[in-house]
This record gives sequence, structure tokens and C-alpha cells, in this order.
Amino acid sequence: MENDKNSQKIVDYIGNFARKHSLFVLAYGTGCGAIEIPATMTSRYDAERFGIRGAATPRQADVLLITGYLSTKTLKRVIRVYEQMQEPKYVIGFGSCTVNGGMYYDSYNTINGLDQYIPVDVYINGCMPRPEAVISGFVKLQELIMAGKANNGEKYRENLEHYRSNQKKIIKNWKMPDYNW
Amino acid sequence: MEDLGLKIFGAILTTIMAFTVGMTYGGIVRKLTARVQNRYGPPVYQNFLDLLKLQSKKTNIAHGFMGHMAPVWIIIAAVTVLMFIPILNGNLWFPNLSFHGDLIFLLYMMVFGSLGMALGAGQTGNPNSAIGVTRGLSQMVGYEIPFVLALVALMIQFQTTSVQDLTQVQHETGVWNAFANPFAFLAALLASLGMFRYSPFDIVGAPAELASGPVSEFGGKYLGTMMSGGAVFAFIKLTLYVHLFFGGAGNPDDSGILATLAGIGILLVKTFLLYMIPVFYGWINPRYRTEQAIRYFWGWPTALGIVGVLWAVFFN
Amino acid sequence: MTDLVKENILLNAVTSAFKIEGKVIRDRRVEVHADKNTVSSILLFAKKQLGYIHMNHMTCIDWIEQGEFELVYTIYHPVDKLTLFVKTRIDREIPVMENIDTIWDHANTYEREMREMFGIEFPGLVGEHDFILEDWDQIPPMRKEFDTHKYAAETFYTRPGREDAKDVREELSKRSGTVVPDFAKKYSRE
Ligand code: SF4
Repeated sequence: MENDKNSQKIVDYIGNFARKHSLFVLAYGTGCGAIEIPATMTSRYDAERFGIRGAATPRQADVLLITGYLSTKTLKRVIRVYEQMQEPKYVIGFGSCTVNGGMYYDSYNTINGLDQYIPVDVYINGCMPRPEAVISGFVKLQELIMAGKANNGEKYRENLEHYRSNQKKIIKNWKMPDYNW
Repeated sequence: MEDLGLKIFGAILTTIMAFTVGMTYGGIVRKLTARVQNRYGPPVYQNFLDLLKLQSKKTNIAHGFMGHMAPVWIIIAAVTVLMFIPILNGNLWFPNLSFHGDLIFLLYMMVFGSLGMALGAGQTGNPNSAIGVTRGLSQMVGYEIPFVLALVALMIQFQTTSVQDLTQVQHETGVWNAFANPFAFLAALLASLGMFRYSPFDIVGAPAELASGPVSEFGGKYLGTMMSGGAVFAFIKLTLYVHLFFGGAGNPDDSGILATLAGIGILLVKTFLLYMIPVFYGWINPRYRTEQAIRYFWGWPTALGIVGVLWAVFFN
Repeated sequence: MTDLVKENILLNAVTSAFKIEGKVIRDRRVEVHADKNTVSSILLFAKKQLGYIHMNHMTCIDWIEQGEFELVYTIYHPVDKLTLFVKTRIDREIPVMENIDTIWDHANTYEREMREMFGIEFPGLVGEHDFILEDWDQIPPMRKEFDTHKYAAETFYTRPGREDAKDVREELSKRSGTVVPDFAKKYSRE
């Protein structure tokens, strides 16, 4: 994590090294892309050699993997999950649908552009991306972490109002607490 | 005074060693599992990285006092139990607080950590945690019976309730308890399958079913602390088994550097081989349901345990 | 190709009993066009007398030019392996249709979906009004007058495309020397 002087201390390097090599992934299988996750995790592509492994709950997870289109109904759950994760937390948008809506760009029920609602560290494009692309996305995320540039959790908290107004534009009947830790 | 200093030094040494060995074993198991599944697998030190990362999380959320205390409780229980386990038989570098009757004390103390976990998980209010805790306690009821029967058999056979004495007996006669009372040994071995919670007895933290069960609301430092506690506990159980059934390790008459290192080497070999039994069993088995697990433990393992007790009563 | 004996027998049985039109689509597919009031009797007749005990599907088509919704009930005979389509038209302005979840329980699910997506009312239908959508305050989205492109552009944030992005159709036609057909022109970027 970069400090205010845009530099990192030795502690940060050690912490970042550990963070980089131990990514617990909460794979939020929203769209078709979820089918690539088993392929990425199992023997052919074996993401575990990079220290990437699945986490069962948002509390334990570091990376939120949004695999595909997000309907407005799912967005609500994604926001809850994202806010329950512990910092430092990262988001990977997976597939064209998260980038700009993909083939559902004109659907009345799926969002276009995930980063308007929660901050995204890495986008992986493709419809759907192959496991090689997924792994390269993770490697990119690792580079960002090592450089101390992946502090979107803080960014989210600081710009909470901006994100909230975007979210509330879609989720009209907002029944959640304003920040669910 | 020097004595006390040495003891404290020994205690710290013991804890560090238990922690390191437990974590490394976990890493080795992950690597081996990956190789069995035809994967490359994470590095052996992956568990240390995970722990470091968990401890360097920026925010950590707790759900009240017990949620705060549960990991601490586990660590306390682990270290306390560790202090009563002879690491090396009679070695001066690894002193312990053993007394006559510590086997019974250990039986009680070993569930202490699970109790803390249960209380902490209860306070988080997550339904998955509650289900996980019930499952864990049911499973414990299952495997404790053959385990206790095996220990009772040993106690009757050698007329002692001290771990140290049991190790000493094996050292003097040269016959391992695994052969002196094979039925008790088998019962304890089958009970250990449940104790280590690998498949098919991973019903407590079933990730796909229960979202990791009791720990589902714990993240960051809490999870890290629990992981370290679990690693120490794994080492404790292995060492206890080795000392009870496999003749222990170390030479009580020689505490020199070489003898100590040789003792540690023997201990590591024995514990590792023992650890591989539940792991191997896990690789080839899917998950049981709770009642299947309990039926398993109350079947053959319990029968073997009873035979072990009878053997101890009538043939010695 | 079979000679469609079973199909014609079925068609005759239904059309003569209710004095309605119908036709054999192909082997194992028969359709009949019914008035909206007789649909439930046809379905009951088919279920009780002819053995069409399973309802596969139930769907709606929006004929906006004719001002009508078309409802299609797809029912199936598991022994004869015949599928019968019962089609009916209802008014688009007052979209009310008889509730048939007393005949097949799972019709309830389809009817709730139609209520949500097309705004068709089924009197006596039990179930939450929010089914797939949450907090929907526009006109039902599957109706053809609902402009989903415009709605998406207004509600969601469209990401601007790349500056150097090219129109695929134009590029391909330029490259191969063909002309873009008229019906495709409206999809072009320019
Ligand atoms: S990007 Fe393609 S594969 Fe991925 S969710 Fe969207 S449509 Fe499906």
C-alpha cells in the first residue's frame, strides 16, 4: 500500500509480497463466465500455484471475481458482499459484460460498466475469457499489489457518496444500511 | 532461577517448533494433494504466506466479545496442551509440566479450543456457523468414544495415567504400544481420522455446503490466529499419538545437541508418516453426512476400543 | 415421413369437440386456435379425456401491430409423444386471461412471469408481484413499446467506445466490394 509520500516502507513490501502470493478468491458466479472458474482452478491450469484459492465467505476473501453480466437485482447482493469484505480488497471484472455491457449492452436489466458501482482493479475482456486470460489478469493484479497501487477499498470508502448515488439510481428501493461492514 | 529460565526458554522453543512444523505439514499436504490431482500445486511455504497476509489485513471485523476471544481461546488451549505433551522423552531442552494423571487432563483440555470456537461462532449469528458447530460437536461425540476407550485400555494395561510413563515403558521394554495393545491402537487410529477433519470427516467446515462452517464470519487476523492455533493442534495430536503408540522419540539419558537433533528427526519422521494416514484416507473419500460419520465411529472403532480394554484387562 | 395419422386424429378430436380451427404443423406437432374463453375447457378436455397430462410451457407473444397478445399453451402426451399447442389471442389494451393454475400447478410460475413481463392480469393468481424484476416502475419490459435501448442508455452508464473503432458492416462491405443492404443500414454507426 502506498503511503502519502508515494513510496513504500519495508513493511509494506513484506505485506504486499504476502498479499500478492495469497489471493483468496470469492468467485461470484453471476454470468456465463463462471464456467471458466473450475477450469482455471483444476489441474489443467492450476491457479493454486500462484497462491490463488477459493474462499467460502466474503469475510475471508481478498478478491471479488465478478464473472459476467450483472443484473440490477444481483448488483444489490454484490454490493453487500463487497462491503463485507475486509481491506485490502480487490475486484476483478471478468468478461465483456462487466466492461461495457457486452452483448447485453441494451438490456433493461443488466448494468453496463461495473466500475460505476464498485471500484474495479483489473478487467479481463473476452466473451468469455479463457483460463489463460484469467490467469494473466490475476498476474496483472499481483503486479498492481506489489507496486502498492491496488488500494481500491480505501478509494471506495472515500468516494462512498459517489458510488452510493450511482447505486441508488438503479436500486430504487434501498433497504440496506448505509455501509454494511 | 536458572532452572526457571531454561524452562521458559524451552517452552518458547517448543511453541515455535510446534507452530512451524504444523504449518509446514499443512503446506506439504496441500502440495501433495495438488500432485495427486495432477496439478503443480502451491509452494510448501504457502501456509506461511497465507498467515502473513491474513495478519496484515487492514480491517478486521469482530462480532462482539466472544468473537474477539475465540481465536485467542484456541491459541491458549493449543499452547496449554502443548506444555503438557512431552516433545522428546525426558529431554532437557523441551521441558514439560507433566504430572501423574496428565492424560486425563489432556482429554479435557483438548476440547477446550473447540469450545471457544463454538462460543465465538455462536456470537457471530451466522446460521452456517451454528450448523457447523452442531456438526462439529456431534462429530466430536463420535470420535471421542473410541479415542477414550483406547486411552483407557492403555491406562489399565500399564497402570498409569501419565503420558511420560507410557513413553518410558515403551522405551524400557522396547515394545511399542501399537503392538502391545493392537486393538486400542486401531481404535485410536480410526478416531484420529475424525480428529484431523480431512475427508470424509470434513463435515464441519464443508466449504461448498456450509461456507466453511464455524469460521465463516471470521476474517483477517481472527482467521490467521485460528489457523496458527489449528497448526499447533495438529502437531499436538500427532506428537501425542507418537508418544502413546509409537514409542515416542528422544533418549531420556542423553540431552546433548546431537541426540536432541536425532530425536527431533525421529519425531518428525514418525509424525509425518502418521499424518499421512488421515490425508491418504481423505484423498480417496468423499464427504460423509453427520449421521454417517457418527455411525462410522460408533461402529468398528468403538468395538475395537472395547476389545482393546478387554485385552488390557485379561491378558496383562 | 410418416402419414400423420395420430396427428390428424388428435386435430379432429379437438376441433370437432369445440368447433375451432387448427392444423398439423409437422409430425408430432399440432396446433389449434381457440377463443380466449374456451381455452381452459380445451386444456381440461385434453388433460382428462385425451391424456395430455403434462404442460410443457406457456408463453406470450406481443403482436403490437394488431393490438393483441397471443398466448400459447404447450401440452404434451407422454405415451403418444404428441405436442399440442393451444393458441389464443387477447386484447392488448385490457389484457386479462383466465387463471389455469388449478389445472396445472406450475402454470402459476409462468403466469406470474407474464404478469410481470407483459402486464397480463390473471384474476385469482396467488403470488408476489415482484417475481424476477425488483422495484420495477416502468411499463412491463417485454411489451414492444418499451424501448429497452433508450432505457438502458438513460439508466446505465454506457462506456464510450474507442476512437478508432470501425463499423464492422461497412468495413467488410468495403473490403469485399459489396453493398450494405437497406435493412442493415439502420444498425450502422453513421
Ligand atoms: S462476457 Fe460473454 S461469456 Fe461473459 S457473461 Fe457476458 S455474455 Fe456471458
